[in-house]
Amino acid sequence: MKIKFVLPILGVFALLAYFMLKSPSMPSYNPYRDYLDMEIPILEVFITAKDSSVIELPEGHYLFSQSLILDGKKNIILRGKGIEKTVLSFKGQKQGAEGIRISNCKNLTIENMSIEDASGDNLKITDSENVIMRNIRSAWTGEVSTQNGAYALYPVLCKNLLIEGCEAIGASDAGIYVGQSQNVTVKNNKAYYNVAGIESENSSQVEIYNNEIYQNTGGLLIFNLPHLTVYGEDVKAHNNHIHDNNLKNFGVKGSIVSTVPRGSGVIIMATKKVSLYENKIENHKTINSSIVSYEIYVPPKNKKKKKKKKALPNGVRQVENDYESDTQYSAYPGEILIYNNQFKNKHWIPALDNDFGKLWVYKNGMKIPDIAYDGILPEDYYIQGQQINPQYKVCIQNNGTINFAALDAANDFKEFSNDVRNYECEVEFKKSI
Amino acid sequence: MSSLKYFSFLAILLCFLVSCKNSVEKGIAPVARKVIPKTPITKDRPNEIAKLSEYHFFDGKIADLKPAKNVYEYKLNNALFSDYSFKKRFIYFPKGKKMSYRPKGVMEFDVGSIIIKNFYYPSDFTNPEGEKQIVETRLLIKEQNQSWKTLSYVWNEEQTDAFLNIIGGETLVSWIDLRGKSQKLNYVIPNQTQCKSCHMLGKEISPIGPIAGQLNRKNIYQGIVHDQLEYFVEKKVLTGLPKKDKLPRFAIWNQKDSGTLDERAKAYLHINCAHCHNDLGPAKNSGLNLTYEEKNNRRRGIFKPPIAAGKGSGNLKFSIVPGEPQNSIMIYRYNSTDPGIMMPEIGRKSVHKEGVALLEEYIRNLEM
Repeated sequence: MKIKFVLPILGVFALLAYFMLKSPSMPSYNPYRDYLDMEIPILEVFITAKDSSVIELPEGHYLFSQSLILDGKKNIILRGKGIEKTVLSFKGQKQGAEGIRISNCKNLTIENMSIEDASGDNLKITDSENVIMRNIRSAWTGEVSTQNGAYALYPVLCKNLLIEGCEAIGASDAGIYVGQSQNVTVKNNKAYYNVAGIESENSSQVEIYNNEIYQNTGGLLIFNLPHLTVYGEDVKAHNNHIHDNNLKNFGVKGSIVSTVPRGSGVIIMATKKVSLYENKIENHKTINSSIVSYEIYVPPKNKKKKKKKKALPNGVRQVENDYESDTQYSAYPGEILIYNNQFKNKHWIPALDNDFGKLWVYKNGMKIPDIAYDGILPEDYYIQGQQINPQYKVCIQNNGTINFAALDAANDFKEFSNDVRNYECEVEFKKSI
Repeated sequence: MSSLKYFSFLAILLCFLVSCKNSVEKGIAPVARKVIPKTPITKDRPNEIAKLSEYHFFDGKIADLKPAKNVYEYKLNNALFSDYSFKKRFIYFPKGKKMSYRPKGVMEFDVGSIIIKNFYYPSDFTNPEGEKQIVETRLLIKEQNQSWKTLSYVWNEEQTDAFLNIIGGETLVSWIDLRGKSQKLNYVIPNQTQCKSCHMLGKEISPIGPIAGQLNRKNIYQGIVHDQLEYFVEKKVLTGLPKKDKLPRFAIWNQKDSGTLDERAKAYLHINCAHCHNDLGPAKNSGLNLTYEEKNNRRRGIFKPPIAAGKGSGNLKFSIVPGEPQNSIMIYRYNSTDPGIMMPEIGRKSVHKEGVALLEEYIRNLEM
């Protein structure tokens, strides 16, 4: 009798349990918080800040209902008492999208605090020069979710920028995002639980080192996108520990990072003069590192169009996509140098929830590549017969025993190859390192 | 025995489910305890005067607003509508300082001059000099470098002083209107940066009110009616005043004998709209110019299509359609309190019904 009664209920619970276990659980960041309201005095200080103001935020977990805004000031220091001690939370904010928004400033230092739970970006700095972000934890609390804001640390259109000793947690786009900026150093930071850990986008003279980037969807992205005011090149990434970036992609649909397959360690996309060296890159379920063109990201409807096109005699397809209307833009990576890195992978089976993972099953004997190159080549890839145009060169050296895959993605992987010897070369710009 | 097993399994599952549901919801503001800083957040010395009383603008009980020496009351022919608030205006001139007459635009003020505007609500609008609640006092200060600085002070409940306002706020006001009905609303005090929304002329902060056409009127000083501008000359705080017949004078929007309907409407539009809608103002990109002097019909809005009105156009085609106030964007926006639609963009939370009526009458009577 009793069992008859219990079984259907048990069945329902078993089903529920199944669905709960089925979706991979997302990590959480749940610090203890005891919120204080000092909004008015702190707002006042921001509104009345003058050139050379030093703003010292006391210890405590302060909650704000609106953005803190600073515009057009020089020599400003904004300082807390430490990551664990001074917390600025924008949880449930009613006005503004950013937590802290800074624009048109010169000589600006922000340090020693946590910034949390803004509805948009936690810390956005635009059109500023000589900016230091130091010892800041920028996070979204609770379970990692698509509802989290986009960027944790977001300098854009800045010159001379240093980001050091920071942590970025839970961004639904990029944790540390450097956009359209020049002369940038990103060092000794941690980025985890983000869709993209650290992203350099359309930025130049960027050096990214001694960072730990883990448990994101994608670890380090070096991107160059069309239709922006500025294009990027010259990015060095070295001595970083990039590992276990296998988090389910929780990016907002339509954003470029939402297309990044989970398990991507490093992605170098359509950027020139990039060197990746002396990094430890480990345990990614899709690719430890990849070099791709922008075309790999064009939406599927364009890909179909591409398939209909006939291959040109030299094996290069012409693709008409909207990025091509940006005549200043090159959709292809080039002058890429990958050397002296340590690659490892404890995973034996690639993630099968994306096309790359499936490709490895069909084409790569189930192995997850340490370095993959999409091999989608521009029209002027070859000059004078078989000579590779130097601006598109990709050189790979001294990375130990690695699994390398050249995909020939433009030709339905016809010439898929594991032979890295074709890429053992040097590129000119190495001298400047 | 087995049922015990099932139940413990169920209990574990239940705990699991409940713990899931308990996960904190995103986007909801938690509770925060109000605290004040124990140590100053910045060492910047506040270089603004903290209290209105420290300026010594008023003699006796400060809330009586009785001007002290060197402080002169002035009135304007037309005032900006600010949620039915009354305004008492004064100018302070440091000893020996003055303003110089300008036929166009704002008078030229000597360094150190301070324009003082008090916003208040009489308890009974039929007795404006009776009991009142003063809400804020705004100052425009002519600084050493010839530029203007804006400051505002918010009055305390006791009406014993007003304190430097930076972040703005809201305060409940109530009154009995001219028809004997009781009214109340949340008066919005703008924050320090919002002063610029109205007071920018080109790249400079500028006063709006003290222009010849607006100052040219009667006023009562010590119980005697004076021509306001002549009184200022007499008191040696105004120079360069031309002869009377050369003086412009705006019609008064709600006094029918002061000018034609057209003149009264233009005066009303000037004070309520032209601080942005002029050739140097923040609304110059709209192509709509509502200064009293503007003669071009299209620039005044007649059959002028919107430029950047967005949803503010209300799907109407022209700012003004002569004869058709209901099809004129001007009326649509002036009659709205939706922040995305209303004009002016800030400074009121209610509709000025009497003003709308004037503008409707003006548009109805415009000829094609």
